[in-house]
Amino acid sequence: MTIRFDRRSMLKLGGGALAASALLPRTAFAQSTSINYWHTFTSQSEQAGLDSVMALFKAAHPDISVTPENIPNPEFMAKITAAVVSGSRPNVTMVSSERFRDLLAMGALVDMTDRVASWERRSDFDNSRFDSISLDGKVYGVPGFAFVDWMYYRKDWFDEAGIAVPTTWAELRDAAIKRSDPAKGRYGFGLRGGPGGQNIIINMMEAFGSPVLHADGSIGLDRDKAIAAVDFFAGLLVKDGAAPPSAANDGFRQIIEGFQTGQTAMIYHHTGSYQDIASKLKPGVEFGTMAIPAGPGARVARLAYAYNTITKEEGADAAWEWIKFWGEPDAAVAFLEKTGYFPASTVAAQDQRIIGNPMYAAAADTLAFGIPQPSFPGAAGWAESSVLPNFQRVLIGEATAEQAVDDMIAGLAEAIA
Amino acid sequence: MSRAAYPPPRTIWDGINPIRMIGELSETRYWMYLLLLPSAMLITAVVLYPTVYGMQMSFREMRLNRPDLGTDWVLFKHYARMLADPIFWTSLRNTAVWVTSSIALEFLIGLIAALALNRNLPGTKLLAVLILLPYFLPNVVAGHMWALMLDPRMGVINDLLVKTGLLVGYKAWFADPATAMAAAIIVETWHSFPFFTLLIMAGLKGIPADLYKAADIDGAGALAQLRLITLPMLKTIIAAAVILRVIGLVNSPDLLLILTSGGPGRSTQVLSLYAFQMAYKDFNFGYAGALSVVMFVLLMLFAWAYIRLSKVNQD
Repeated sequence: MTIRFDRRSMLKLGGGALAASALLPRTAFAQSTSINYWHTFTSQSEQAGLDSVMALFKAAHPDISVTPENIPNPEFMAKITAAVVSGSRPNVTMVSSERFRDLLAMGALVDMTDRVASWERRSDFDNSRFDSISLDGKVYGVPGFAFVDWMYYRKDWFDEAGIAVPTTWAELRDAAIKRSDPAKGRYGFGLRGGPGGQNIIINMMEAFGSPVLHADGSIGLDRDKAIAAVDFFAGLLVKDGAAPPSAANDGFRQIIEGFQTGQTAMIYHHTGSYQDIASKLKPGVEFGTMAIPAGPGARVARLAYAYNTITKEEGADAAWEWIKFWGEPDAAVAFLEKTGYFPASTVAAQDQRIIGNPMYAAAADTLAFGIPQPSFPGAAGWAESSVLPNFQRVLIGEATAEQAVDDMIAGLAEAIA
Repeated sequence: MSRAAYPPPRTIWDGINPIRMIGELSETRYWMYLLLLPSAMLITAVVLYPTVYGMQMSFREMRLNRPDLGTDWVLFKHYARMLADPIFWTSLRNTAVWVTSSIALEFLIGLIAALALNRNLPGTKLLAVLILLPYFLPNVVAGHMWALMLDPRMGVINDLLVKTGLLVGYKAWFADPATAMAAAIIVETWHSFPFFTLLIMAGLKGIPADLYKAADIDGAGALAQLRLITLPMLKTIIAAAVILRVIGLVNSPDLLLILTSGGPGRSTQVLSLYAFQMAYKDFNFGYAGALSVVMFVLLMLFAWAYIRLSKVNQD
């Protein structure tokens, strides 16, 4: 038999198909909303955490499809700036607190005040959780999870040498010197002098009693105290030899690898790297966690949040569903279990899976005294373009702590001028 | 040809017939401008407008994170700041070192590789593909790959150097200002020398074999043939390749961004990286624009001087 595809038979076929389509169940054509989500997750554990949250979200909201897009941290501001200027914004963007003011100033964020106020889980979050994402009474995001600063230390080495867990920076320095043996390639402290290290240097200056800005927005850096902080912190490498010689270029990957491979005895990071460390070293046996030590001026540990923000009006309802889902206890704990990032929700933080784990005790302690990162327009740029390079100059012997701090103060004056 | 070539309209339709009107226009001197119009509009849209926009930005206050400052004209404020900015001068000096050293090494290795591959020995086709591979890698991949290979803890290069006795202990190449720039130049050379190889190989194919035969008869050795035949015959290609690579090196901060971020201190800070940081870390697009204009002018001057000195146009 020969099938003839002439005009008449094609018309008949088309008409038949159209009639048949009217009989199909309506649900087959149900509208599915797609949103894209820009985040800065890089490690395998972070990716696994995101996958867990997405799987739970998909089960709860089958009508919303989330497309995650990884934007590496160093490129984040360039990409989001280009997206804002060119009008190709994502629906939802993960924003760290120190970037909030810059993004708000360039008009990247959508006001979420009303949505947040009427959210059924709003009471699960302490008011302070929203401080770093609010301005003039308006709220621009919801905390997805917390960055709780803490330290990892080699428990087995400390136990072997009979060293107590340090509670002050002076004690940490002593412990670092004791655990250093450059001839064997061992160092007491994994100093992060490369990318990302700028925030720790700022924390050190505050710990030595030198805030970045006063409440009125004027420069708060106290020259003498800031010099003491830089001198002390850089001194761990240049005077004490208690940090790896690569410190001036060591970023996240390097300090984590240094600790995992037994090069360093202590590192300063946050809870987000817990699962990465635990994948190589045995928790509670080979490594332990401790709260950030106190400085001569204050005990400074950052309690920062990764905020999920709506960055364009289109698809805002679906974006809001995704954002508030991060506040569900099951999603928060699932993310913690894969990564180590603490829940931002106070209800989720009381989950037995968290309070029952002694390794998280240091993070729970930090919740009591942790403070947010300084946030003002130009903060991130100043930290990265002035604080870090000038600190590196001290590490490589190109400048004294005095010269470095003078340049940091000049850079700050320029940033806020 | 004048409009007289066309017969006068005989009917009203002839007077308004668009095809006839186009035909008449094609006989005038305006036709060539009309044909050029689409290209001119395209060039204006994608080349001229962004360039002029970037330049005018350098004369404005433009800080994206400080809308309170407005976007008023500030004339030469950014340029005046640049003159007093020590980071600018450090970046300028580093740019000169970065570009000159990289180009010299890339050209030298590229030339040697091209000459070797041009001998058509067994296996050279496979070797040609292998040699070109680094150039096909994106800068980001090449940068991260080398950052791992030169890593002071787990880097295979440190391991090899220590095992062969060339190094006493593992070296943090990017953390030492004495070696950071040199290490970055080696990575850049590895990545981009195939560009020279590719172009020089194409040029070598165009040199008549008779010239070499004649030189052989005259008793010229390999080096003399290279100096008196090969290099002069490749002059135009080398000039084009050098200019293209210089433009690429001056304008692209990505490799240094990955390897060192300009550090330690400012030891590997170059102009393009500084402009990038000013724009996307400090959001000061006015100052970043001024830095870019300076780079643009320097590149124009370089290209002009290089073409004059290499006497390419005299061929």
